[in-house]
Amino acid sequence: MANTTKKSGIGKHIISFAFMIALTIAAFYLVINNVVSKGWILPLILILAVIQVILQLFTFMHLDQKGSNYYTFFMIVGIFVAVISAIGIIVM
Amino acid sequence: MATLLVIIVFALFLTAILTGGYNKKFFARVKDTKVWDWITTVDHKKIGILYFISGIFFFLIGGIEAIFMRLQLAFPDSNLFVGDVFNQLLTMHGTTMIFLAAMPMIFGLMNAVVPLQIGARDVAFPFVNALGFWLFFFGGLLLNLSWIFGGAPDAGWTSYTSLALNNYSPGPGVDYYVLGLQIAGIGTLIGGLNFIATIINMRAPGMSFLRLPMFTWTVFVTSALILFAFPPLTVALLLLMFDRIFGANFFDYAMGGSTVIWEHLFWIFGHPEVYIVILPAFGVMSEVISTFSRKRLFGYTSMVFATVLIGFLGFMVWVHHMFTVGLGPVSNSVFAVATMAIAVPTGIKVFNWLFTMWGGEIRFTTPMLWAVGFIPTFVMGGMTGVMLALPPADYQYQDSYFVVAHFHYVLVGGTVFGLFAGLYYWWPKMFGKMLSERLGKWHFWLFAIGFHLTFFPQHFLGLFGMPRRVFTYHSNLGLDTLNLLSSIGVIGMALGTIILGVAIYRSFLSKEQAPADPWDGRTLEWTIASPPPEYNFAQTPLIRSYDAFWVAKEQKTQIEPAEPLAPIHMPSSSYLPIMMSLGLFIAGFGFITRGIEVSILGVAITLLMMFLRSFEQDHGYHIDPRPIREEKGAKV
Repeated sequence: MANTTKKSGIGKHIISFAFMIALTIAAFYLVINNVVSKGWILPLILILAVIQVILQLFTFMHLDQKGSNYYTFFMIVGIFVAVISAIGIIVM
Repeated sequence: MATLLVIIVFALFLTAILTGGYNKKFFARVKDTKVWDWITTVDHKKIGILYFISGIFFFLIGGIEAIFMRLQLAFPDSNLFVGDVFNQLLTMHGTTMIFLAAMPMIFGLMNAVVPLQIGARDVAFPFVNALGFWLFFFGGLLLNLSWIFGGAPDAGWTSYTSLALNNYSPGPGVDYYVLGLQIAGIGTLIGGLNFIATIINMRAPGMSFLRLPMFTWTVFVTSALILFAFPPLTVALLLLMFDRIFGANFFDYAMGGSTVIWEHLFWIFGHPEVYIVILPAFGVMSEVISTFSRKRLFGYTSMVFATVLIGFLGFMVWVHHMFTVGLGPVSNSVFAVATMAIAVPTGIKVFNWLFTMWGGEIRFTTPMLWAVGFIPTFVMGGMTGVMLALPPADYQYQDSYFVVAHFHYVLVGGTVFGLFAGLYYWWPKMFGKMLSERLGKWHFWLFAIGFHLTFFPQHFLGLFGMPRRVFTYHSNLGLDTLNLLSSIGVIGMALGTIILGVAIYRSFLSKEQAPADPWDGRTLEWTIASPPPEYNFAQTPLIRSYDAFWVAKEQKTQIEPAEPLAPIHMPSSSYLPIMMSLGLFIAGFGFITRGIEVSILGVAITLLMMFLRSFEQDHGYHIDPRPIREEKGAKV
């Protein structure tokens, strides 16, 4: 529908794809080569994963284009509910 | 396995004979029948009727189970339905009533009404709509087949682990629960998604969010709740399925699993679920009370706000079902406060209904009777709800008949009264026939009196110490009279339901066509014929206010069309949804009987149908505008 609002060149997709591959390689590198202490591996690869999810959503799922307010809203609500439930279960 | 192969070969053989050389016209003849038309339909009005009729069917099954339980409990120490059979009855009563009666009847009203109220020609994804219905239907069928093949589930509708694990519930009973609900749940989830997309994208020009009718608003919030509440159930059922069928240990404490995690997951779904079934009832009440008081809904904006707030808070209170698990005083207090906070938006709604009626020209038609009866009944359920929300008091009430009385007051007094109000209100729009007002009033009074007679004594039974889910009690404990009264009340509800059946039967027999606007309505669905033509609106209407039809009637004008008469695009009907669902049904049966080959066959059928759907080149068809114009000319 609103796909025409922003000219999305193929270049942006390739750059973001390269970024994602780099992030994946970085995650593998962290796990295989023991560059950081064991306790840090999980938080670090989680951070890398979150960055990759955001990149995915914005470039390939078109969240950077206009007219995506509903999707963003529903995703934020979904994340909110999921985080509350997860934290609730873990804490209790 | 051999039997199955023989059956499959025989079926293929039969199909070959009928379709191949011997009878070339067989398919053409099948496609002409009414049955084929209904099972392949993607029309939201027909799917709404299918949902509604199957909801009523499962409502009767659940009601019969309830009658059996009350028969057993009418007298002390009776041995009609003892032990395991009673457990199966109570489990299936709860599961059927929530998942297979309340949900489909709500989806029936949603399908029948929402596209008409927002001025749309269909839902956003008609194919998905049909798929949602058939998944629900086959899931419900699978669940109820358990009565015939191997025994029904008997671990309660909450199916708590460890009770629901293989060690304590051997046999296929709980497997039917897991697979049946999983399949029905997928249907509900995609149905909810479909309505979110419909309400966001398919509104007529000018129908802004704050001009949406209240019923559509509640359906929107309900669909969002479905979207966020059903995934936890899916996950929980999947984990339980792996525990039971493939020997995993997610819930087995001895193997490092966690029993409580099931309760968390179930109630993270389960509490929003009760709002999923009550919010559309609130919406029906708002429409009915506003129409029959001939007044604009009092405090429309605050009603919208309250609906959204109830939906939001619904996710923050699940632990109030688990106060006695032992999660500690801090979590119990937090969730107690959150629970009591829900009384505020609910109170806003109740007062808004009262103020809508205040000073209105009230007509006590059957839908209005249900709506007026709903308010005190639901408030009573809400009051006991606040009582149950206090953790110290809850330790006394929990697992007693007080809880049973509470949730029947909100679920029957709220949801079922709301559904009956909606049934009488929208029946002419759905079927083009009126339901008898006289029989409707008999239905209301018998059902309402029977309901209170059944469930009001149960508050006291609970306070006197009668535990729920137990199949008998001894005499001389002070429980005899109240139990007998409670069982007598069931007669009223049963008679009321029979009268509803008579009214429905008579409406189908009667030749008299319902008028387009039998109730002097306010919203868009009353601007078109009853039942509506398959394209709903010949021209999409242009909306300029809330209650647009009422405003047009007041100003003695018509709602302007937003587009010229043009060919109307319609989706083609499809046999793929029922086949996809049938595939999952077969797969479910395979898992229950531990016949993995059968499951693979079933999943293969579903995947094949998905493949066919992906490469289908069907762009629907157009309805020629000229016959419509003539029809329009004939009407004016």
